[in-house]
Amino acid sequence: MQSSAHTAGATPGGVPRLAGHFASLEVQNHAARLGMWLFLSTEILLFAGLFVCYAVYRYAFPEAFAASSRHLDLTFGTINTIVLITSSLTAALAVHYAKEGKNKLVVWMFALTIAMAGAFLVIKGFEYSHKFHEGALPGPHYRMAAVQMAGAPLYFTIYFLATGLHAFHVIVGMTVLGWLMVRVIRNPNLGPNNYTGIELGSMYWHLVDLIWIFLFPLLYLI
Amino acid sequence: MNPSSSTTAEGALPGHGAHDAHGDHHDHPNYLVDGTTIKSWLLTVDHKRIAIMYLVWILLFFLVGGIFAMAIRIEMLTPGPTIMDAMTYNRTFTLHGVIMIFLFMIPAIPAVFGNFVLPLMLGAKDVAFPKLNLASLYIYLAGAFLALWGMLNGGLDTGWTFYTPYSTHTTTSVAPVLFGAFIIGFSSIATGLNFIVTIHTMRAPGITWFKLPLFAWALYATSCIQVLATPVIGLLLAVVTGEQLFQFGLFDPARGGDPVLFQHLFWFYSHPAVYIMVLPSFGVMSEVVATFSRKNIFGYRAVAYSSLGIAFVGFFVWGHHMFVSGQSTFDAGVFGVLTMLVGIFTAIKVFNWVGTVYKGAVDFKTPFAYFCGFLFFTVFGGMTGIAVATTSLDVHWHDTYFVVAHFHFIMVGATVMAFLASIHYWFPKMFGKMYHEGWGLVAAAFIILGFNATFIPQFLVGNYGMPRRYFEYPERFQALNVASSAGASLLAFGFIIVAVYLTYALAYGRASGKNPWRSKGYEWVSDSPPPTHNFVGPQPTFPEEPHLYVDPKKAEVPDAV
Amino acid sequence: MSVANESHKEERNMQEHHSSGRYWLVWAALLVLTLVTVITGKMHLPGIALGLALVIATTKGLLVLLFFMHLIDHKGANRLVMAVSVLFVLMMLAMPMADLATRYRPANPTGSHLSDLPDLNFIEGTPSGAHGTGAAPGGHPPSKGH
Repeated sequence: MQSSAHTAGATPGGVPRLAGHFASLEVQNHAARLGMWLFLSTEILLFAGLFVCYAVYRYAFPEAFAASSRHLDLTFGTINTIVLITSSLTAALAVHYAKEGKNKLVVWMFALTIAMAGAFLVIKGFEYSHKFHEGALPGPHYRMAAVQMAGAPLYFTIYFLATGLHAFHVIVGMTVLGWLMVRVIRNPNLGPNNYTGIELGSMYWHLVDLIWIFLFPLLYLI
Repeated sequence: MNPSSSTTAEGALPGHGAHDAHGDHHDHPNYLVDGTTIKSWLLTVDHKRIAIMYLVWILLFFLVGGIFAMAIRIEMLTPGPTIMDAMTYNRTFTLHGVIMIFLFMIPAIPAVFGNFVLPLMLGAKDVAFPKLNLASLYIYLAGAFLALWGMLNGGLDTGWTFYTPYSTHTTTSVAPVLFGAFIIGFSSIATGLNFIVTIHTMRAPGITWFKLPLFAWALYATSCIQVLATPVIGLLLAVVTGEQLFQFGLFDPARGGDPVLFQHLFWFYSHPAVYIMVLPSFGVMSEVVATFSRKNIFGYRAVAYSSLGIAFVGFFVWGHHMFVSGQSTFDAGVFGVLTMLVGIFTAIKVFNWVGTVYKGAVDFKTPFAYFCGFLFFTVFGGMTGIAVATTSLDVHWHDTYFVVAHFHFIMVGATVMAFLASIHYWFPKMFGKMYHEGWGLVAAAFIILGFNATFIPQFLVGNYGMPRRYFEYPERFQALNVASSAGASLLAFGFIIVAVYLTYALAYGRASGKNPWRSKGYEWVSDSPPPTHNFVGPQPTFPEEPHLYVDPKKAEVPDAV
Repeated sequence: MSVANESHKEERNMQEHHSSGRYWLVWAALLVLTLVTVITGKMHLPGIALGLALVIATTKGLLVLLFFMHLIDHKGANRLVMAVSVLFVLMMLAMPMADLATRYRPANPTGSHLSDLPDLNFIEGTPSGAHGTGAAPGGHPPSKGH
């Protein structure tokens, strides 16, 4: 099998273990990638249900949704969006460097990604605590005096469900990337024939970013 | 004329002579004996062992669901209370539905026969992700036990469809049962994902897409549905569980919510779910009908495409469950029209199966007997499906026993018949033994006749107006209910006979040999039962198309193949 | 064991290796688009605000999918998986919204502009008042015989 050596010297990186039931490494990588795309499609369908609830109730209660949305902190939301987009960049760069066998840079990129994910969660935590103070809570716990319209509690129910589910996925993503990072530190043997694991973890992270890209304008910019 | 004297060669397994099983297999033991500790079973990654473990549990849950069914039928013997009170009755039919759908029908054919047979059919050593396969078994069991625990601890009385707002306000144990179903969903997704990747990446050389056996096509279409539809119900189950616990009221009209929105999201999964249940059975039947007619499948591509067609169109028709729930007439109209399309693909299959049997040399074995029952039930179940899909007619039939009979015709009539046919067809492959053919036919007769006796009265009583899920009913419906319960006893008796002779065959059945049906299916190229890694030596080749019994150029009646 | 065609093709696609500049460019584009969406969002343009926001979000999403996730290199089945998922999501959005838009009016969520009935406004176990504030309730349930 050809290796795509872009440097003049020896090809960097080791060869991953080939599982016995696969015909070749090619097949193993293909299977891994296709499996990941399928898994990501399940995540998209998972969030889609919440987007449908959002669409229907926004259509039914446009003013309540608009009024409630103004009570979200747009600055925090924008910062979070920028943070997440940048973390996506570092995750993509991690894959890039993994392909080139630059193990140390991969670790740095993942560390940065995880740090930014942590920052996202911290900001989200501030937003949530502010909401608790204001009383902008789901269903029967709603007591925000500033927006007293039919449909406002529904807006906040959807807000908490959607961002909560998203935050859960951020935590899962951080765990996955952290575990990958530790593996690279222990076994720095990435290269053009050995970067599939990094790629898959990164793909998951991009999905988390992708969902936020849609959540942000829909929740914060009504 | 007997077209079975074909001149096409079987798929070759290099390195094996013409002599039979017992000889040179000491160093390649079959999967059943390769490793005899409990740990070797519980921690196996062999798709065949995982399939057997699934089979054991699925049969157990089928038994539990069946016991609930008998309880329902006994209760329905008299118009008033017979053996239970109203709340218990509500719990009984709910749990019958939950167990039969989530614990039995959704996994049954894919998790057992798909797992066992798919890699063999593709000439692969295992599925793409064997450890994920094992995980999906344990996830399934975890969800099942949680749901069962919930059932024993207060039960659920909402019906398996758990419509809001009742399901978010009822005091019965919604959370464990729904959360159990949520966990099972992950198992379903994992299986589907595994099969899709396996079919894409692990086919032996020469098996192009249009040389895939039809069961593989059916599994592929089923897996697509599993992967795309299950997350939606997963989310809904989690949200409703949360609503039950925290009352946030997303679907509660008291808080401005819309119960019909719940139904949209629910049926978006649950309608494609019925295709998860039925498509694999269509695939099995394509295999069985070709083998036992000793004839090439009629219209291979049409059957393959129709599987995909059913999967695709099945996603666009969910609103036909909501004709009388309050959804708009515009939506009802759209869904009604789209639903008619699905019937076309099923009709294509029925036509092709009949075309396969036509001028074939039928070998009337037990799997073929189940095929006959299956055909009858699919046609009438399908046609009554088209009938209830007609909005104006459904206004009368919705939530009556007519609908109950319709879906039992498809679920029991089609899927359970196919499940039984699969067990009998692949019994020699899985265990290397044969069951007693005579008893097989007797049991099939009981089951098919008992099934008719159970559910035809239900069509009638539903058409007369008896609602479903009702604990009490007017006197004038009693005769038909008694008839239905009597039929159910026949049906149960048939299942018991099957259980007895199959268990006997496991222990004392005669050795089956590698390919007792002389099938051209790819999975029969390997030994019966297969060795742990499916084949010994290099990967088998499959020089000819699947289901090829007669070389079209040499057939006596060329157009008949 | 030998290999099906698809894996060969996939492997050839994955040989592509670009410089990292690509990613920085995409990142910059995403930031610009974020700014655009925030600015236009705050303007609350009547009528086209939602459409514009969705167009921008879709563009950003496509950039992430195609370049960060390499869908532009991963051809074949991988693309089909995403395309079909999106199609089903669109269907899932379209029909319930069409339902709400065309339903018999009294069946719509109360308190919304699609219904003539006021917000039901009863919340068990909390102090009486609109949405738990303790103030007097705003509306009354409809009287019988409406």
